[in-house]
Amino acid sequence: MVRILLALMVKEVKELVRDPKILLGVVLMPLILFPIIGSAIGVSQESAVRAASSSPIAIYDEDKGEASQRLIGFLEENGTVITLEASSLGEALTELEKGGYPTLLHIPLGYSANITSGRKAMVRIYANLRDLTITETVGAEAAANLINIYSYQASLSRIERLLGEVGATYEAEAVRSPIAIHYSSLVKGSLIEAPPHSIIGLVISQSILLPVLVMVMLMFAIQMAATSIAIEKEQKTFETLMTLPIDRLAILAGKLGGSTVVAILGSIAYMFGFSFYMGSALRFASQTPLPIGEVVLSPSPIGLLLLGCIIFITLVSGLALAISLAIFTDSVRAAQSLVGVVVIPVVVPAIILMFTSLENLPTWFRWILLMVPYTHSIISSKAALLGDYFGAVGGILYISIFTGITLYITSRLFSTERIITSRIGFRRGLRTKSKE
Amino acid sequence: MGIAVEASGLVKNYGGVQALRGCSFKVEEGEVFGLIGPNGAGKTTTLRIVGTLIKPTMGWVKVFGVDTVEGASEVRRMIGYLPEDAGAYPNLSGMEYLRFMAGFYARRSDIEAVVNEGIQISGLGERLGERIKGYSKGMTRRLLLARALMVRPRLAILDDPTAGLDIVHAHHIRVKIKEYVKRGGLTVLLSSHNMLEVEYLCDRVALIDRGIIIEEGGPEELKDRYGAENLEQVFLEATRIG
Repeated sequence: MVRILLALMVKEVKELVRDPKILLGVVLMPLILFPIIGSAIGVSQESAVRAASSSPIAIYDEDKGEASQRLIGFLEENGTVITLEASSLGEALTELEKGGYPTLLHIPLGYSANITSGRKAMVRIYANLRDLTITETVGAEAAANLINIYSYQASLSRIERLLGEVGATYEAEAVRSPIAIHYSSLVKGSLIEAPPHSIIGLVISQSILLPVLVMVMLMFAIQMAATSIAIEKEQKTFETLMTLPIDRLAILAGKLGGSTVVAILGSIAYMFGFSFYMGSALRFASQTPLPIGEVVLSPSPIGLLLLGCIIFITLVSGLALAISLAIFTDSVRAAQSLVGVVVIPVVVPAIILMFTSLENLPTWFRWILLMVPYTHSIISSKAALLGDYFGAVGGILYISIFTGITLYITSRLFSTERIITSRIGFRRGLRTKSKE
Repeated sequence: MGIAVEASGLVKNYGGVQALRGCSFKVEEGEVFGLIGPNGAGKTTTLRIVGTLIKPTMGWVKVFGVDTVEGASEVRRMIGYLPEDAGAYPNLSGMEYLRFMAGFYARRSDIEAVVNEGIQISGLGERLGERIKGYSKGMTRRLLLARALMVRPRLAILDDPTAGLDIVHAHHIRVKIKEYVKRGGLTVLLSSHNMLEVEYLCDRVALIDRGIIIEEGGPEELKDRYGAENLEQVFLEATRIG
């Protein structure tokens, strides 16, 4: 029995991995395509951001006073500045557009007078959004940052001067901002020196990845298994298998086993590819380094084990569902059409849980989602990663029960002649066919 | 000689369609028995019932005395089934395919002997090392025939074994079937649309039309009975009368 099962599994794996479409689509594509896309995004973002941040700041100095000259001098020391010789703001804006500068700093009339007399002065930054891309905001942000630094330094030096005049011994920094706030967050019993919104932001970005991973992995598996069954039926190799002196359940187990092996390979390739993608695409993005990686994102050995169990049982469940449905098709095209319908309960929970958590949904909708086994694949994966082992085990049990029922139905179908005679006609529903 | 296949009152309904309407026939052990009839007559349905793929709605079939429904597993050990227009696993080599199939019938130590027999039957030589997806229809059919016969079944069920093949491949297949029957120990139940093939291969034939056997006998006997020059004329005459 073991030898027969092994032979069927080896045949299945060989058939799948030698199929260029499956090898390319399931294994090689994620390993090649994701890093290429990630690198392309990374390189383009990096060059765009560099170009934007090193691009000049056009200045229209309407004030032409002493204070405005000091500000311009500071900006010249810390970046490239082009002073526009315009007679009005309208003319300056026309030059901004014609010259293709990303940013215009307008220092209005009265700026120096306000600074000198101790009133709050105002400047205006105009961003030139020619292509409406995110990187076009970088120039305006860079100009604003420089002005903020100048404003902060000017503020401190003025406070110091005033303190000196009254003979006070206060720190200028303490006078400017007497109370400083330092955040700490308690995560799973560990104290982390980081603000809570940074931690939650990181966790949310991580939780968005999980549904995507589960969804793509399941779609691979379902598509592959359904196509494999359809090819067997189309080629009539199934008919031959059914007349061999072997248990029909061994045929089902061999198909499930072989497909699972390839689906796991595909998932690993996908995860590697996706991590390269994330690494490449986001390598230039400025991120606050948070000392929480080990606490929040790295699951414990038990968490990893549970995550493995969830992925495995989810795969088996998806494969069993795909096989039991593909039995009713008689061509690859019909199987793929059917798969298009089957992936809806996979895609819907994944998309919803990408943007929100179950707790935020209306109760009736939450229960509908909870009835879908693949919702549990996603929430259990997150639970396993975050150390909620009870929740993870609950999810595994639910998916296992669903998988058990699906496998039972599939095995019953394998024992009947429906596997040879039935097919789903999308216009006429389920029917049996007669060759002759 | 005993009875290899005995079918009695076979009825098969597919939903509202009645594919077989009380089909009965007997195949003697060691003979080549041909089912001939037009498309939709019930040939494939009959062969599928004998091959344990589907169950009759009414009636029964026994293969060497074993009921195809009650003793399906035992029947499967005795048969080699070749479906019409079947393919093989395109990403396996011919050799891998033969070895894969041999593993279900032979002990580990006997697998190579069975595969060698398959190599002989297929006559594909070194091409067996290539992936099946590169095979022509005729080569695939030869491989499948080799698969069906190499395990020395007591009954080979061949559904239109040479359909759509060129003369060379069709001739190879006919010769091999004849050769293996002559060796002894093999009974063949086949269907065909090729009357010359049927005359060449079959000891006895049954004419099937609209799910029922309308005539049965040896090719010469049938030709004499209808005063016909060939089986084609016999068939046309018999169906006209029927």
